[in-house]
Amino acid sequence: MTAPLPPFRVLRPQAIEAAVAAGAAPGGARYLAGGTDLLVNLRRGLLAPAVLIDLGGIAEFADIRCTDQRTRIGSGVTLARLATDPAVGARHPALRAAAVAVAAPGHRNLATIGGNLCADTRCIYYNQSEWWRRANGICLKSGGEICHVAPEGKRCHAAFSGDLAPALIALDAVAEIAGPGGRRRIACADLYAEDGRAHLQLGGADLITAIELPAEPVRSGYLKERVRQAFDFPLAGVAVALATETGRLSMLRVAITGTNSRPFLVENTAALLGRAVDEELLGQLDKLVQKQVRPMRTTLTPAGYRRIVAAALARRLLASLGASAAASVA
Amino acid sequence: MLDDGRSTRGKRILRVRLNGLWREDAVADNQLLVDYLRESVGLTGTKTGCDGGECGACTVLLDDQAIPACLTLAVRCEGRSIETIEGLAAGGRLNRLQRAFHEHLGTQCGFCTPGMIMAAEALLRRQPAPSDQQIREALAGNLCRCTGYVKILESVRAAAADA
Amino acid sequence: MHNAPPGRRRPTPAAGVPLIDGIDKVTGRARYTADLEHRGALVGRILRSPVGHGEILRLDVTRARRLEGVVAVVTGEDCRHTYGVLPVAMNEYPLARGKVRYRGEPVAAVAAIDAETAARALALIELEVRELPAHYDTASARAPGAVLLHEDRPGNIERAVHHVFGDPAAGFATADLVREACIDCAEVNHAQIEPHAALAEYDPQTARLTMQSVSQVTFYLHLMLARCLQMEESRIRVIKPFVGGGFGARVEALNFEIVTAMLARAAEGRVLMELTREETFITHRARPQTSVRIKLGLTRDGRLTACECEVVQRGGAYAGYGIITILYAGALLHGLYDIPAVKYDGYRVYTNLPPCGAMRGHGSVDTRHAFEVLLDRMARELGLDPFAVRRRNLLVAPTRTLNELAVNSYGLADCLDRVEEASGWRGRRGHLPRGKGLGMACSHYVSGAAKPIHWTGEPHAVVNLKLDWDGSVTALTGAADIGQGSSTMVAIAVAETLGVPIERIRVVAGDSATTPKDNGAYSSRITFMVGNAAIDAARRLKKLLIAAAAHKLGEDPENLDCLGGLFGSTRATQTTLSFADAAKAALVNEGTLTVKGTFTCPPEAQGGKHKGGAVGSTMGFSYGAQVVEVSVDEATGRIVVERVWIALDCGFAINPLAVRGQIEGSVWMGMGQALMEETRYLDGMPAHASLLEYHVPTSVDSPPIEAYIVESIDPNGPFGAKETSEGALAGFAPALIAAVADALDVDLDQLPATPDRVMDALVARRRRQRLQHQPAGDAK
Repeated sequence: MTAPLPPFRVLRPQAIEAAVAAGAAPGGARYLAGGTDLLVNLRRGLLAPAVLIDLGGIAEFADIRCTDQRTRIGSGVTLARLATDPAVGARHPALRAAAVAVAAPGHRNLATIGGNLCADTRCIYYNQSEWWRRANGICLKSGGEICHVAPEGKRCHAAFSGDLAPALIALDAVAEIAGPGGRRRIACADLYAEDGRAHLQLGGADLITAIELPAEPVRSGYLKERVRQAFDFPLAGVAVALATETGRLSMLRVAITGTNSRPFLVENTAALLGRAVDEELLGQLDKLVQKQVRPMRTTLTPAGYRRIVAAALARRLLASLGASAAASVA
Repeated sequence: MLDDGRSTRGKRILRVRLNGLWREDAVADNQLLVDYLRESVGLTGTKTGCDGGECGACTVLLDDQAIPACLTLAVRCEGRSIETIEGLAAGGRLNRLQRAFHEHLGTQCGFCTPGMIMAAEALLRRQPAPSDQQIREALAGNLCRCTGYVKILESVRAAAADA
Repeated sequence: MHNAPPGRRRPTPAAGVPLIDGIDKVTGRARYTADLEHRGALVGRILRSPVGHGEILRLDVTRARRLEGVVAVVTGEDCRHTYGVLPVAMNEYPLARGKVRYRGEPVAAVAAIDAETAARALALIELEVRELPAHYDTASARAPGAVLLHEDRPGNIERAVHHVFGDPAAGFATADLVREACIDCAEVNHAQIEPHAALAEYDPQTARLTMQSVSQVTFYLHLMLARCLQMEESRIRVIKPFVGGGFGARVEALNFEIVTAMLARAAEGRVLMELTREETFITHRARPQTSVRIKLGLTRDGRLTACECEVVQRGGAYAGYGIITILYAGALLHGLYDIPAVKYDGYRVYTNLPPCGAMRGHGSVDTRHAFEVLLDRMARELGLDPFAVRRRNLLVAPTRTLNELAVNSYGLADCLDRVEEASGWRGRRGHLPRGKGLGMACSHYVSGAAKPIHWTGEPHAVVNLKLDWDGSVTALTGAADIGQGSSTMVAIAVAETLGVPIERIRVVAGDSATTPKDNGAYSSRITFMVGNAAIDAARRLKKLLIAAAAHKLGEDPENLDCLGGLFGSTRATQTTLSFADAAKAALVNEGTLTVKGTFTCPPEAQGGKHKGGAVGSTMGFSYGAQVVEVSVDEATGRIVVERVWIALDCGFAINPLAVRGQIEGSVWMGMGQALMEETRYLDGMPAHASLLEYHVPTSVDSPPIEAYIVESIDPNGPFGAKETSEGALAGFAPALIAAVADALDVDLDQLPATPDRVMDALVARRRRQRLQHQPAGDAK
């Protein structure tokens, strides 16, 4: 072994209330879900909490329940299970595709849906060893004064790189939160803010307990571009959900990850509704995406490519989902 | 109640079923499973090839599932079953994957081999007759630098046929 | 010279044999350096420079030394001796002295009772550096007024090479087509899966040092330990445990190895140094970023008339293998095709980055890539088939190249035939749908450098065989098995020569206390040199056994042979003697037998008399041809490699199983370099120093590879064998680029061909096509 993890205590509550109480206790605690993001960051010295609250002991976190109205997924459900659960696959293809696209099989056996939603943002200047960050000058996100990506600016541009969030946003999912103030529900799209240092709109003791998705049938899909076809974060990831009536779009939601500090729902898609999916429409979506993504130099792959490829993926998904919709009408 | 089992010196007693045998060891809360296996138990078949979750060399089975031991705290394995490469050769006889990796040269330098075999073992337990694509996907988290994966695929195929 | 193949007689199975240490690997029993018993050993850690170039003003280790649990701290003050590769160019200290020259350069090191204490101690070391301008690219390092990294190297040029063979101007004058290309190849890294580690033990009572490390070259490590620690060689023992891959990463003594030994001596005990993956990347010594400007002349029917090539390598901060790499890059323009004239200008440039070194296909890969890419483009322009162009320029063995390299066997024509047929080239090329393409290229590599780095007058390889009363044969070799299967090769060579099953042979390798000196695992030398030495030793032993058996059986030794482990007359079969009994007979009056076999490259094989002429010289070149099939996604720029067909002339496949494994692995490593591998520095900081950012292809990125073995039976190789581990690598990238050109009519000038670069090329192509289609008057 080369370097030990920083010292911390591990608590393993059996109930949500106990977890939240521990999370709210003073002294700095972090929730530990699958650990595939958090432990890597701990190993790199990116954070050093005194307490980790292991969520693996909370039985109800591991439930998937399907009713006629909705799908309810406990926040501790692993990505491996999401990828293989027949009901999830049949109802929410985008979610299944996103789960399969994360990291590699071993990670997916550990990683959870809640953890993936709460994954830290990433940047080539941030996800480095302590020696590296010190030698290079501590960045804004690490507690320094300057963002190496955009030194003239005041904010951190680290990119959100989770794969599940865009799928859940496109599928209009809602997150159930337990916190010191009780329970509440937030649309997944509203969980995030465009700030690489504080991208989660949750308090430190807030805990995602479950995700709910509407069960009505929509076509959906997720595509991810990366250098390698496994073991890689998205350069851009795009989820599309749509519905059609008599061959025309009646609903369209497009959500994107990997390009901004938050996963976000592409705006102004309403203008595309009521129309058939054709080249002109695809071109308009392409423009909307290119205009709204904000890739920065947070990856070794150039930002300009991430912009183009985000649009290309959105276009491809809309074309294929739109075509299969047309086929089923015919 | 939350920190039951903690001893006074910052360690607690971990009870795991390791390669089929229950055992108890004192572990620190911040000890990784891979360091527990290698440093505390002395099972050095499980390798460390990266700085965390990037190579798959430390893959072991936790309740039949392949996981990276470098991204798992030892204390989270309480009461669970862990299998490492050392546990596969029951009674000293190679299991079918070990035999196939040996005979088909699925191993060259051998450093990724224990993790690779454990990932393949998890695959064959849930999918006894995998397609080539299923094999490739199941091993996508295990980097090998020697073989180009060609003979690794051949080895897993041969082991599956050896059922 | 052992020049006759053994009539294909094989006590070992024709398909080949599994590795003799394979069972240790599949059971987890194999102990790599970090797995060695190290209870009670101190933990070593290294403090590294945060700046790219600077003068060390102050290095204060007092507080670290005082920390409870710290046993030793060492700095540049503790070693005033340089280390390196070529005796004329050793300019590196294990711990920086006076200056630091790259970010991550070792500055100090500690040995402490555990990892926590070691980490705390590093944080207590005070380092003050006055920063100097740093040069992170070759243009800045070569610019007028650039700050020199090394005072004795003006212009920051480590070595400039200017070689002209034949008459290039005349050659270009006779060409029908002359074209030029500028090709840029990114720096890549070996990324062997085992991180670096070393375990050193110093016994103050006997003043002896035992070093166990990940080395491919235990002999060179031994030499550098003695030099840097100023110890007598005889007091040092170097042992190679299992090694988790090398690919050239470990073909020179590395700083952390020497530092670990320094710590062990200072602590008067045992120190285990495990480097992180990040540190393993920083240690580097891999293939440099290389810019190639290449110009070729072709006649209308595809005959090469001349080649001009300029190579600039970004070498990093210290010499290492640099001089050899820049010489290889030019020398191996020769030896693959018949070219009447070749001009080569090479520049190895010092930069403030981790030192580059040798990596699989050392020196040859990037120039071969540029050559083959340009040849493919010119073939297209002339409307010629790429196979036909290669066939038009074949050598005829035996021959000597313009630069005096000996080509004794040459199976390239057979390689071309095999992959052309296997890939269905003739029926498929040009008939694939848009976005799919086929490309091909050729490559070659040496079977061991005919002139070793440290020329001592000794044989190039020595193998000892010990035969004892129990009838067991132990082969003792210093050759480093790093996963390529060299120990298995030695066992086969001995078994086949003796005529006994391989199970009778044990191989003990890589321990300076017991095994004969060996130069190590580099330049694909082991099969050719150690294999020949093993055969020589086995022949000598067999002679003794036959004499003893003949005496016992009352036969004429001339009529005796050993087959399947039994000695018997080649005429009559009634009386036989078991191997064990023959061994007992041979030991009478002699006791335990030890015989020695050697191999020496004759002087005429050691290259031309021109400066640097020894580099590239070898007893035998391997030859390869490959076809790559790709699909390219025009919307995302992603290239998918669908299939690869590779034929390699390895002379003779001593262990076909291992030969295939080596061919597949080298083709695949070429794929990594072609598609996605790249080291990148942000102001000299290694931004790629993890297996997440440095993209080693995964199983889902990797295509089926069909490998074909071509056996040209080299006159000097062991049983006719040549190298098999490196020759195929360099052909992949140009075949891929040719396939992409076939698929989408785009020319890619940069490696790796990542999706963003493919997109850039597609955009450039569309722009070009728009301009071509615009009426002339509209062009503004």
